[in-house]
Amino acid sequence: MEPIVELRNLSKTFGSGEGQVAALQHVSVAVQPGEIFGIIGLSGAGKSTLVRCINLLERPDEGQVLFHGKDLMNMKTKELRAVRRKISMIFQSFNLLDQRTSLDNICFPLELEGVPRAEAKRRAMELLETVGLPDKANSYPVQLSGGQKQRIAIARALASNPEVLLCDEATSALDPQTTDSILKLLQSISRERKITVIIITHQMSVIEQICNRVAILDSGVVAEIGEVEKVFSNPQSAAGRRLVTPDVALPLSTWEGPVARIAFNGNMSEEPIIASVAVDLGIKLSILGAGTRNVDGKAFGAMLVSLPEEAEKRKAVLDYLNGHEGVTAEVIQ
Amino acid sequence: MFDLFSDPVKVAKQLDIIMNEFGFATWETLYSLVLEVAFAYLIGLPLGVLLVTGEKEGIKPLPKPFMAVLNVVINLLRSVPFLILMIITLPLSKIIVGTKVGTMATIPPMVIAAFPLVARMVESSLREVDHGVIEAAQSMGASAWQIVTKVMLPEALPSLISGCTISVGTILGYGAMAGIIGGGGLGKIAINYGYYNFKFLVMWAAVIGLILLVQIFQSAGTWLGTKCDKRLKNRS
Ligand SMILES: Nc1ncnc2c1ncn2[C@@H]1O[C@H](COP(=O)(O)OP(=O)(O)OP(=O)(O)O)[C@@H](O)[C@H]1O
Ligand SMILES: [Mg+2]
Repeated sequence: MEPIVELRNLSKTFGSGEGQVAALQHVSVAVQPGEIFGIIGLSGAGKSTLVRCINLLERPDEGQVLFHGKDLMNMKTKELRAVRRKISMIFQSFNLLDQRTSLDNICFPLELEGVPRAEAKRRAMELLETVGLPDKANSYPVQLSGGQKQRIAIARALASNPEVLLCDEATSALDPQTTDSILKLLQSISRERKITVIIITHQMSVIEQICNRVAILDSGVVAEIGEVEKVFSNPQSAAGRRLVTPDVALPLSTWEGPVARIAFNGNMSEEPIIASVAVDLGIKLSILGAGTRNVDGKAFGAMLVSLPEEAEKRKAVLDYLNGHEGVTAEVIQ
Repeated sequence: MFDLFSDPVKVAKQLDIIMNEFGFATWETLYSLVLEVAFAYLIGLPLGVLLVTGEKEGIKPLPKPFMAVLNVVINLLRSVPFLILMIITLPLSKIIVGTKVGTMATIPPMVIAAFPLVARMVESSLREVDHGVIEAAQSMGASAWQIVTKVMLPEALPSLISGCTISVGTILGYGAMAGIIGGGGLGKIAINYGYYNFKFLVMWAAVIGLILLVQIFQSAGTWLGTKCDKRLKNRS
């Protein structure tokens, strides 16, 4: 199938000289019609820049942005504006017009197209039903909760009958329950209206809940791309592993000695590894912190342990740990 | 001036002036104010919009030299003391309104003094509009014109109104000074009778009239600005 959205070899650099930031470096991603595609990465990875390139809110320095195989970069302003109506977007901060009611916010994109007022209103009322807020038609944004605002924003985004919906951290300002309900709404919209959804997030749970495929973005580079279960249960890239293993911090920064971080990538055997170190090397390690995450029935975990002061013993421990399958150990302090 | 009330004849004469001339003077002040504000906005509003939309990061960047000239002209007009600017530009009135004397003649210089202020007021109001909202409109395929008319101006309306209130107050002040170069109104009365003729009662009455006008406009502006700001709606 021809991808509905395809980014080819995108690069974007901000600033110049000393303060230069390579936000995107040779990024290529193809999104299939109808799928819910996730893009995940740490803060500053370039996710927002990437998604803003899809409707050319941000112009990449090089590369191609294809919508149904046509390059947006070569389009005239008018043509581009027509394409933008087919690629809607919702935002973390909702970006509703404060001086308009919910209904008039939803009418806004229709107004831009010159749809007659009565017709626009009728469609807007339908969309209010779709997002479950028919009684909020005459409320102003200030009178709505975050979750309600995002629902209105989604209704507004749907007004122009888009083929693609871009979501830049659309749930990051919401509590877990509200996030959940918004994600369910996006999922049902995608199914019922055959809309391709592209979701940007830094939360794995969002991807796990509704995405079919995911791309991991790391410092402006696509580290990994594939089906969500595969990528999350068996990450091939360092960035993927970092993302999947839970972050463990030292509970108190009172520990002065050397510390190692041991990551378990889900393929670990049942062996009691800390005990083995004690038995096989005669070195006792104390556990300073630990956490696990269950992905698809596999345990991903991380542990912080104290290391011996002597350099050769330290090396022995690290070598021993790294010799086990599914275990990565590194000194972090 | 402290023996203001010592001579009953003088006081009666002054009261006479107040009774006979204040009605017309207030009318003159008001109609010239309306014309000045209208023309100042006719020129200043579009310029204020251009100052925001035309800059490098704006929604419709304009050539750099154009923006530089626009900024310099506005700053220049803003930095010349009002009275001087009025005297310099008075000859223009001959061309524009056909006369160099009277209330009408003072209107072009007043507009020239006021539109740069209006442009800056509008500029600062428009800059308050959340960039995210403008971006959302762009993502929906809005043209620059649509963004200005359907997003920036309506979203900035409360702030534009409060800016307009300030502008009206300032223009009213300018109008009072225009009495010096022959403009009519309460300012002229204060200067002619009070300053040149020592009729301090008349002068004070005119000043109080002006203060009242400023108060009325300020209250009306604040009321209107608050009333139309939907961000201040109580949650229901
Ligand atoms: N307009 C800009 N000017 C300069 N630098 C920018 C600009 N926009 C983004 N950057 C830089 O580009 C990099 C990527 O930013 P981007 O906003 O795409 O990250 P992100 O993955 O969305 O992060 P977050 O999760 O915090 O939103 C960052 O280093 C950022 O500082
Ligand atoms: Mg971002």
